[in-house]
Amino acid sequence: MIQSDEILNTVDMIQKENLDVRAVTMGISLLDCHREDAAATCQAIKKKIEHHAANLVSTCEAISSEYAIPVVNKRIAVTPISHVGAGFKADDFVDMAIALDEAAANVGVDILGGFSADVSNGFTRWDREMIDAIPEALCRTRKVCSSVNVGTTRSGINMDAIVLLGQTVKDLAEKTADQGGFGAAKFVVFTNQPGDNPFMAGAVHGLGQHEVMINVGVSGPGVIARALERKITQSGRENLGLHDLAEEIKRTAFRVTRSGELIGRQVAKTLSIPFGVVDLSLAPTPNIGDSVGEIMQILGVDAVGAPGSTAIIAMLNDAVKKGGTFASQSVGGLSGAFIPVCEDRTLAYAVRDGSLVLEKLEAMTCVCSVGLDMIAIPGSVDAATISAIMADEMAIGMINNKTTAVRIIPVPGKEAGEMVSFGGLFGESAIAPVRNVGKSKRFVEFGGKIPAPIHSLRN
Amino acid sequence: MRTNQNQYVISIMSRDRVGIVHEVSQSICDLDGNIADIRQSVLCGYFTMILLASFPSSVSHRDIERKLAEVDARSETAIDVAVKKVDVDGRPSGKTIPDNAYVLTATGPDRVGFVATVSSFCANNNINILDLSTTSANGEYVMILITDLSKCPSMEAIRRDLQDFAREKGLRIVLQHYDIFRAVNEINLPIH
Repeated sequence: MIQSDEILNTVDMIQKENLDVRAVTMGISLLDCHREDAAATCQAIKKKIEHHAANLVSTCEAISSEYAIPVVNKRIAVTPISHVGAGFKADDFVDMAIALDEAAANVGVDILGGFSADVSNGFTRWDREMIDAIPEALCRTRKVCSSVNVGTTRSGINMDAIVLLGQTVKDLAEKTADQGGFGAAKFVVFTNQPGDNPFMAGAVHGLGQHEVMINVGVSGPGVIARALERKITQSGRENLGLHDLAEEIKRTAFRVTRSGELIGRQVAKTLSIPFGVVDLSLAPTPNIGDSVGEIMQILGVDAVGAPGSTAIIAMLNDAVKKGGTFASQSVGGLSGAFIPVCEDRTLAYAVRDGSLVLEKLEAMTCVCSVGLDMIAIPGSVDAATISAIMADEMAIGMINNKTTAVRIIPVPGKEAGEMVSFGGLFGESAIAPVRNVGKSKRFVEFGGKIPAPIHSLRN
Repeated sequence: MRTNQNQYVISIMSRDRVGIVHEVSQSICDLDGNIADIRQSVLCGYFTMILLASFPSSVSHRDIERKLAEVDARSETAIDVAVKKVDVDGRPSGKTIPDNAYVLTATGPDRVGFVATVSSFCANNNINILDLSTTSANGEYVMILITDLSKCPSMEAIRRDLQDFAREKGLRIVLQHYDIFRAVNEINLPIH
């Protein structure tokens, strides 16, 4: 029997502290949709998605109402589309993106990921065609997100791909200049991309998964922030060590994860498809009180980005994993704390105030998931510099055997310090300055490949 | 339950002091009574207990009352006793909360008739209250009901009506499946 104070705490977590399930993502394999030509393939893609995901949104809403826990986004992740379009040309890939967008709209999901390729150890012809298609594909669709995996710890980093993708990011931003370069917010470059990640823009339904499955991404920075505040008020700052606060984060992460596990499993059970993983990520939103940056301030840095910030993120990330792992039968995806600047009000303010800079964000990504995420940079930064930023971040992932990603938005016509707003969950931010622009060109122009690190040889 | 046994529900109320549970249970034991289930609570210095016990058929309703009256006579606090013979299959299920229970929390300013208002909705909508407690939080009165909605024809209708009711009465009411509370507070994940 649950005590009444436990009931009230649980109600408060949901009603006042922004506990929600960020994403219920249905992974669908489209490998069997490949046909002789693009038109027939598009038909097959739409048919398959609309068949499997027809009841996804209504099921999520019914279960969400049963527990009074919001499911913020219902999403679909599909097989990286370069596999499905093997042999096709760039125009064909654009058509496939449009088919994915129409299917997503027809079943009512918020967003769809998987306009993707894995080129970590080299390109196929159709991988290049698909990459060429990204700018047009994302500009002609509303719900489609794209990602490219350019490196793994096992195979190294494909620098030729990074050279191309620096330009892709520029093209995406320029094609959507009227929306502040928003196109680039729907595209992310990865190292060690997981095949079961429910979060966007990098969700794909990787190879080696069930044909159809449900993955869940939890949220909950607000719940953790309030729990820490309560703990500090009750016990007194002078009586607490960081280990006590880590313990509080762990316990709270258990509760947050449990709500995701319960909802995900119920959705999967209702739809009679396998449940995949809970992704234990602290995903912030631009809402007040739902911020990872705020947790950092509660844990003792007056300005986010001040010395100590990296250590705090390391502790937070680890405590979330420890609490979440026990709460869930199967954990996967990215699982850690996110630091997406635009989507987190406190981080965005820290960038505006100059306390948080690109280099410190890069340091923080060494100890958390996922990477340089939703950072607006000046539109004048050239493609080669963007490629070099990607290379640095990919190297962190490759060497540390972890997932890293880059999702940066070179906002056309704007310079450091100016504001840009993308609306909704994508939030807003001041534009972060980039130092040493244009000084990495010779490095990027080498292209080729950064060989796999010595510790890739683990057999 | 053994054969040739009768089940009784016994309710006890007294000002709280040390020893009441022992005195009552000892007298039941003296009559060869077997206690199957007990709930006990103390509210504002008053003790209350309800228990289910089975007695040999040779022990009459009157015998039990008489025995418990002796407890009252010896006690320094007055003990009110009620004894009822169970005329349905009263075997304890082991589960106080069924699988399909819902928690209803109603919050609002403290006022006369708060409980009556909320419980009127339950009564009018065939909602059975399994457990009820109230508390105050942040200067407001909070009523927590664990309810059985299995006799309600439609969950959607209940949710809609509950929203209208809350708006009309100026209360904040949340209705959630009990499993979410188990999921975030207990070790086991409640997947049925």
